Amino acid sequence: MQNIILQKTAKLILIIMTAASLWLLIRGHNNPGGGFIAGIVAATGLILYAIVFGSQKVEKLLKYNTRNWIGSGLAIILVSIIIPIALGEPPMTAMWTTISLPFSISLHTGTPHIFETGVYISVIGIILSIIITIMEVLKWNS
Amino acid sequence: MSLFAHILIPLGFIILALLIKKASIKRRLAILFAAINFLWSLTLIPIVQFNDIIVVQTGGWEAPYGISLVADKFSVIMLVIAAFIFFISTVYGAQEVDKERRKSGHFFFSFGVLAGVNGSFIAGDIFNLYVWFEVMLMSSFILVSLGGERPQMEGSIKYLILNLISALFFVSGVGLLYGNLGTLNMAHISQIIANNKEIIPLLNPALILMFVSFAIKGALVPFFFWLPASYHTPPPTVSAMFAGLLTKVGIYSLIRFYTLYLYHDDLFWNKIILWLGTASMIVGAMAASSQIFFRKILSFHIISQIGYIVIALAFFTKASLAAAIFFLVHNMLSKTNAFLVGGIIRRQTGTLNIKALGDIYRQNPIWAILFFISAFSLAGLPPLSGFAAKYLVIKAGVEADMILISMIALFTGILTLFSMVKIWMEVFWKKVPEDIAVPLPVKKRKEHWMLTASIAMAVMIIIMGVNAQSLLNFCNSAAHTLLNPDIYINAVLNQ
Repeated sequence: MQNIILQKTAKLILIIMTAASLWLLIRGHNNPGGGFIAGIVAATGLILYAIVFGSQKVEKLLKYNTRNWIGSGLAIILVSIIIPIALGEPPMTAMWTTISLPFSISLHTGTPHIFETGVYISVIGIILSIIITIMEVLKWNS
Repeated sequence: MSLFAHILIPLGFIILALLIKKASIKRRLAILFAAINFLWSLTLIPIVQFNDIIVVQTGGWEAPYGISLVADKFSVIMLVIAAFIFFISTVYGAQEVDKERRKSGHFFFSFGVLAGVNGSFIAGDIFNLYVWFEVMLMSSFILVSLGGERPQMEGSIKYLILNLISALFFVSGVGLLYGNLGTLNMAHISQIIANNKEIIPLLNPALILMFVSFAIKGALVPFFFWLPASYHTPPPTVSAMFAGLLTKVGIYSLIRFYTLYLYHDDLFWNKIILWLGTASMIVGAMAASSQIFFRKILSFHIISQIGYIVIALAFFTKASLAAAIFFLVHNMLSKTNAFLVGGIIRRQTGTLNIKALGDIYRQNPIWAILFFISAFSLAGLPPLSGFAAKYLVIKAGVEADMILISMIALFTGILTLFSMVKIWMEVFWKKVPEDIAVPLPVKKRKEHWMLTASIAMAVMIIIMGVNAQSLLNFCNSAAHTLLNPDIYINAVLNQ
């Protein structure tokens, strides 16, 4: 769609949505949020971008094929399952550790974060692969 | 850990299949992962012989709160045989399935089926079981429709709709059960029922919904229509794999539920299961004898064979449960191999209509022998596995004072023999009919891996028939665990 206001807004909204989705992803373990919701929010921003600019632009933006996004998300989930097994705990146990960063910030993180990140990436991949396929079938490339 | 690997191995292949593009690498990886899955399932046998039951509490949450994965001897037998069948059908499919289908994800979705099957065999939580059923249903639906031929579409729609109804019943049953008891851990529910027998009439609506769902999955008599409508449409690899794996999951769940809950209300449930089993036995065999397509005959036969397993479950003695497990193993092997041979014949002649085929025995005696082994094992001829299996079921029936049902089972054996002989005469012995237009033989294509896979399966059938005692001993101890649910409950709830 050749409409400069829409194009600028879509770009702006994409940035805002991505930032919001990262925020939801990080706070997700103890507060409302989490990998699935965050993935949907990020994908919504990308879908708006796709509607305005066409599906090829989104594929360019994503850099890798959506299959690879799904696959790498699942691979990250696999890592988060294997870490507890390697440390001798039952699979999928939540293992936590505190990392101290400079400027006296300490980061409390663990395998659930890895798991949620995997869910985040694969949800983005799945939703966009559906949308891109539909757009290509309908020849809906503005 | 040892149990969880049965979910991780298919997941690992699915990840690699998403990341790798080349179809030839994927084919090798599929065979490798199927082999790993089989070898890993073999390592469970010594553990389960030593410990009776393997329990994994995922996430370290104790039993009624977390999701537990449980495997007793029965589950381990099923895991091993399912892994074997999957391995064989992967090797077979690596050659049989055309490149088009392999590129659009044949192996990807068959590993989805494997994940679902493995997961349902080790689920210790009813909702988890439901989730694995769905995983299996979705991947198998895509496998049925993959390729998009017209009959495939027709079959897959029927398959999907009827199985979605089954899923609907199951999940509504799960909801009712959770509303009544507040827990979905299988062992915990069994313990609650055992401590408070009056609660069972309250639970019966939920249990009936779940029973119907298992009956649809397992293709028992009034609910079997999806099976013969869809199994003859996909490529032979897929129908062989489905014949070996899918309905057996429904029967596995039925046996698990019967030995954990339903036996408390014997008066109500025993009759239902007994008569449904008998009806499936007869209807399946009769319907099979009226078909003229190779794979349709075999599909109707699955229903008849499921009936044998279910009546053995309904006799409910130690011997009959062991016989049911033995029959399940026998049926998975023989039925899959019969479908595999059908696939080779279709590849070489281009049709599976038994009226148009003929004289295969002279053209290629190896196929004829392979088919002979599996078909007459299904019919129950010694020394093949089917003889021991049928003998055990009928003997258990006579010992349990169910003479009438045992005689019906014996009589159904003759019907089975009739339809197997029909395939044998029509496809392998008679002269090629001249008046029917036979499609020209498709050009010869390589088939050595398909043949190897089928031979391996036939060898397993013979070994199982000749050396029945060692498997039977294992089945007997599995039946012992099934008859004493306290072992299961105590192991899961860690008391």
